[in-house]
Amino acid sequence: MLEGVNRIGVNEWEVPVGYVAGMRVPGRFFLSESLGKTLEQGAVQQLANVATLPGILKNSLAMPDIHWGYGFPIGGVAAFSVDEGIISPGGVGFDINCGVRLLATPLLHKDVAGRRDLIDELFRTVPTGVGAKSAQKVSPQVLDGLMVKGAQWAVKAGFGVERDLIRCEEGGFMKAADSHAVSVKAKQRGMPQGGTLGSGNHFLEIQVVCEIFDPGAAKAFGLALGQVCCMIHCGSRGLGHQVCTDHLKILESATKKYHITIPDRQLACAPITSPEGRSYFGAMAAAANYAWANRQMITHATRQVLSKMFRIDHEEMPLIYDVAHNVAKMEEHVLDGKHMNVCVHRKGATRAFGPGSRDLPSDLTSLGQPVIIPGSMGTSSFVLHGTQFAMEKTFGSTCHGAGRIMSRTQAKKNLNGREIMANLLKEGIIVRAHSENAIADEAPEVYKPSDEVVNVVHEVGISRLVARLLPLGGIKG
Amino acid sequence: MRMSFEEISHTADVKIRVYAPTLETLFSETFKALMQVMYGPNRACGILREIRIESSDNESLLADFLSEVLFVSEVESLVFSEACIRIDGLCLTAELTGEPFDPVSHSGGSEVKGISYSGLAIIHEANGYMLDIIFDV
Repeated sequence: MLEGVNRIGVNEWEVPVGYVAGMRVPGRFFLSESLGKTLEQGAVQQLANVATLPGILKNSLAMPDIHWGYGFPIGGVAAFSVDEGIISPGGVGFDINCGVRLLATPLLHKDVAGRRDLIDELFRTVPTGVGAKSAQKVSPQVLDGLMVKGAQWAVKAGFGVERDLIRCEEGGFMKAADSHAVSVKAKQRGMPQGGTLGSGNHFLEIQVVCEIFDPGAAKAFGLALGQVCCMIHCGSRGLGHQVCTDHLKILESATKKYHITIPDRQLACAPITSPEGRSYFGAMAAAANYAWANRQMITHATRQVLSKMFRIDHEEMPLIYDVAHNVAKMEEHVLDGKHMNVCVHRKGATRAFGPGSRDLPSDLTSLGQPVIIPGSMGTSSFVLHGTQFAMEKTFGSTCHGAGRIMSRTQAKKNLNGREIMANLLKEGIIVRAHSENAIADEAPEVYKPSDEVVNVVHEVGISRLVARLLPLGGIKG
Repeated sequence: MRMSFEEISHTADVKIRVYAPTLETLFSETFKALMQVMYGPNRACGILREIRIESSDNESLLADFLSEVLFVSEVESLVFSEACIRIDGLCLTAELTGEPFDPVSHSGGSEVKGISYSGLAIIHEANGYMLDIIFDV
């Protein structure tokens, strides 16, 4: 492990106050000894930087997929006092509410194995990659409704079924959304992109449930061995990116106005209760709602493809759950025995609320929230459930994915997209993308082994394993 | 001083190091790096656009300029190849030339979501300028 970091548990490490000047609380992260070998000093520095921000509560936290990002580290979680704390786009990122959802189907492995036509049809139907535009350009008035009601707008507009909404965090929209805090530029970017996947690590993947760890939870979530599912990973597209860009600028001035000292300009912030802080939160919530509507529209397109090819109804493809990865939310947590409203930033981290928490579907209250952790295009994805321990330890948070270990530069230099596709095909995994670079960039080798990462969160107890899914094919941005 | 840009290892995103003899060329090289990351190397001239930006310091001027390029490129579906830049104090004027986005020749890159301020510092040395900049992809 890196110098200056102290071990405080089998998989738990502390970054002491003093690691960087001005830390108000210690940093904490969860990592196995072996995963620690790939930890970058830059990521620990970013974790420590977050600990300097005003109003931070308990610890600056990072999950086992921690890696070097900008502002917060990827995998970073921090909660701030609503009265004395700040809100920062550096704790959310440019891709607001980048997230992942899992859709069940009544199909079995044998129904879809080797079906290149399915992957081709998904690739034709769902716009992916750089420059992709939606077939459904929305008007400015419709866009306002979409930003206010998110997935609920989408379902009312015909992109889904009513039950989808209770399987999304927040019911598929944050009530704090303020479309007036979203610039004209952001709206211009948002209008033609509803229902598009984007590029980078975004994907749509057909998977099969290959292992069940917790039969009771799997059954309650609607998962069975051998069942085919579909995982969708994308965010708020250009609208969200522009919201972050616009408000970073506003918050940079606010940082000076409120005399806040920050160690990294990307951590520009304002008091949560200030006009600038409230404006960012409203715009961010609107962008988060755009992302939920976007995933809902892609869900609908996916159901249409599966329905047509396999003669199944949309109602036979229920949403297991939808989680947000990059978001700030007002949540109630218990600190030192007292209930407190706090602003939790999760940057590349997943909410993992435990049993009895608010905002869980009524049939899952006793189990905890479904947590969906994507692997890479060649490795397993996982479904877990949230725990009470996560509520106590990590403000109800867990990891969001495997976490990169290889830079894109190295990936491009050392890996060949065509070879990777051929190797995946030998394992029965069919992948489509607009460029071979996109495949090399996101090859299984560039990520930490997803099973090692989820084993850490399972062993620590901040979420518990329910099921494992293997990829059968997918489309990449 | 040589004029160039190169990609530096960064785990999650794209980090670019740029060297240039003048501030204007430093900006135009960073602009080219951004377009190359997004759309690959095959980019032609033809369509003209002008961007004017005013900011509080050189780093903000650069970040604001590149963010504006991202915006124009996306909403107008344009892929730019060259930028002629003039900087007067903290005011920038850029004449961009490019072509319409073509999925066949411009799909080799990765969408840039934003220009990060993390570690962004323009260094002025005796023989020119250099900077490191992170693009979120």
